[in-house]
Amino acid sequence: MERGRLTPVGWAALVFGALLMIAPLLWTILLSLKDNAELVGNSGAALHGPYTLENYTAIFGNGSTMRWLLNSAIVALGTTAGVLVLASLAGYGFARLDFPFRRTLFVIVLLGLAVPSQAIILPQHQLFAWLHLHNSYPGLILPGLIGPFGVFFMTTYMRGIPKELDEAAKLDGASLWTIFWKVILPLTVPAQSTLAVFTFLGTWNDYWWPLISATHSDMYTLTVGLAAAQMNYAQTSGLGFLMAQAVFASVPIFIVYIVFQKQIVSAMAGTAVR
Amino acid sequence: MRGVGWSLVLVAALLLAGCGQSDGKTHIYLQRFFGECGAEFGASTDVGKSEGECGIMTSMINRFNAENPDVQVDVNVVAWPGYPQLTAQMAARDPPDLVTMHSGVMSDYAAKGLLEPVEPYLGKAGIDPGSFTEASRLGVTMKGKVYGLPWDTHGGLWHVNTALFAKAGLMRGGKPMLPASPEELIRHARQFQARTGKPYLIQSLVGDPAGAARNQYTYMMAQGAGIFPDSRHIRLATPEGLRVAAFFRRINVEGLGTLDMDTPAAIAAFMSGEGGIYPTGTWMIGSFEKEAASPGRPLHRSYAVFPFPRLWGERLEYVGGHAWAVPARERSAKQKDAIARFFRFMAAHNFDWARTGHIPAFKAVLDDPKFKSLPHRADIALLGEIGRPLPSHVRRQSAIEGLVGEEMAAAVTGQKPVEAALRDADRRVNELLGELD
Repeated sequence: MERGRLTPVGWAALVFGALLMIAPLLWTILLSLKDNAELVGNSGAALHGPYTLENYTAIFGNGSTMRWLLNSAIVALGTTAGVLVLASLAGYGFARLDFPFRRTLFVIVLLGLAVPSQAIILPQHQLFAWLHLHNSYPGLILPGLIGPFGVFFMTTYMRGIPKELDEAAKLDGASLWTIFWKVILPLTVPAQSTLAVFTFLGTWNDYWWPLISATHSDMYTLTVGLAAAQMNYAQTSGLGFLMAQAVFASVPIFIVYIVFQKQIVSAMAGTAVR
Repeated sequence: MRGVGWSLVLVAALLLAGCGQSDGKTHIYLQRFFGECGAEFGASTDVGKSEGECGIMTSMINRFNAENPDVQVDVNVVAWPGYPQLTAQMAARDPPDLVTMHSGVMSDYAAKGLLEPVEPYLGKAGIDPGSFTEASRLGVTMKGKVYGLPWDTHGGLWHVNTALFAKAGLMRGGKPMLPASPEELIRHARQFQARTGKPYLIQSLVGDPAGAARNQYTYMMAQGAGIFPDSRHIRLATPEGLRVAAFFRRINVEGLGTLDMDTPAAIAAFMSGEGGIYPTGTWMIGSFEKEAASPGRPLHRSYAVFPFPRLWGERLEYVGGHAWAVPARERSAKQKDAIARFFRFMAAHNFDWARTGHIPAFKAVLDDPKFKSLPHRADIALLGEIGRPLPSHVRRQSAIEGLVGEEMAAAVTGQKPVEAALRDADRRVNELLGELD
């Protein structure tokens, strides 16, 4: 759509829509800058001063916050890296290689899309207990690597890459690994970016598995740690602190959105998949 | 790929950094809720100067560590209420040594042998279970065994705006006149509304099943109703149950109470002087007291608080409580000794915890003039005597409270006929209890 062709009514609608979208964020930020006691009786106090940074000071005053932030970063980055590696390799195998039961295996992988994580949480927890992997980074990262969506996504993308490229490389004496590494993989960067962004965001925001696997506070991720730091009646007597936590936890996500805006938009528009 | 390599190096470094703990101390691993307040109280050992559940708790544990240099209590703060994590830890055979637990969930863990009876620790600490208040003792005792060190009782209270009560002509001798029968409550409520133009009751009936269940349990207990005749059944659809639910429905039909508020809205309304009575728990005393002490606020010097009034039968009230429980696992003799010392310390500081607004778990503290001299405590101390938990054979009390509260809120707000809501509550709870092994 060309900017010059937008009518005043269109502009007004856009501005209205943007304000509507940004209002809850502004409200959250304003609440986070208010004294908790002032908000207990009237949350409307957020609309006027005095404002304070004490809720943010309390977050940083907790010695564990930076540790939780680091844990989240390690788990989210580790999971993202693992998913990219595994999904790319599996996608290449399903898209390019011919081996027995390939179709059957692919269907089995796809069936994984229909299994909600809650359905397997008990045996998964038991398995990790037997392996002594709770309260460890592998314990937090490994379940996230089971990504049928990633495999499906990369398989579909790689199938769209012309096979003539593989054949030309073969004529030049390239091995399967070289074809994968030097020919196919560089062409999948848009899909890799999209998959990376979604995996990172999903892992960063995950609450349920870290809650029951990371039961020692030094292994909490940010979502679990911030929840643990809340008082029982945070929504009433600690509203400002609660909102400051929300703002703090969303900053890294916000940065990811800003940096990878193009990939996210193209993924949403479906243009990352050929 | 270089990024992956660096990530792995970082992970390995952190894993190595976390290894090792040899300070010569006996470590006990304590898990609690009540939030994190390290920024304010992380270094505090002055329990008397700490405030709020989190602050007092943090200072108490710091003080214990300071007074017991050979013991280190390692604290793990969990997201409220912490039971998903505790259950997961138990499933992984790695539970903490001490854990904060609501008396209402103790039966779930004790029935499966996941908690140690604590009599040996109490004995070593020199604590006689007979020194617990009736409400506390019942809350931690299952099949004759004690499964935790109780350290408070909490339950419903009527928080009263005395300025509005005075305007309504419902004060006598400087104290609010609370009803002694259903008919009197209706009379008072009508008078209140006519003279103040505000609702008599501020009710959080949206998303607060615990509040609705508390009301129903309390007034059924008062009438002597056997709500749980055995461990597999609940009986709410009885004349007693119908009487309570129908009465509170009548209050709402007459418009004498608020209907559309959740907990934050109800708290805000009460603090803003928008109604006469807000039935909620002991845990709000501190916040309301602070408002009452703040000049210019609607509640300034206009706050009083009492246990639920007797409307039918006996004066009893449904209550819960917090306790320190000891999950079953292998422990050294030194760790067991440290737990006993921790119990002795906590029992000795029960008064400090009572400053949160909760009722003390020990008779001596409940009767102590020091406790009764705290704001409003003389008025609510009765809760320690009239408080009754659900029978100890009832498992899944928290889930049951959710189901009962949901149906009772539907009944009193008119979303469902009262009889149907009671029957539905019975059916849903019985289905739940029927599934237990």
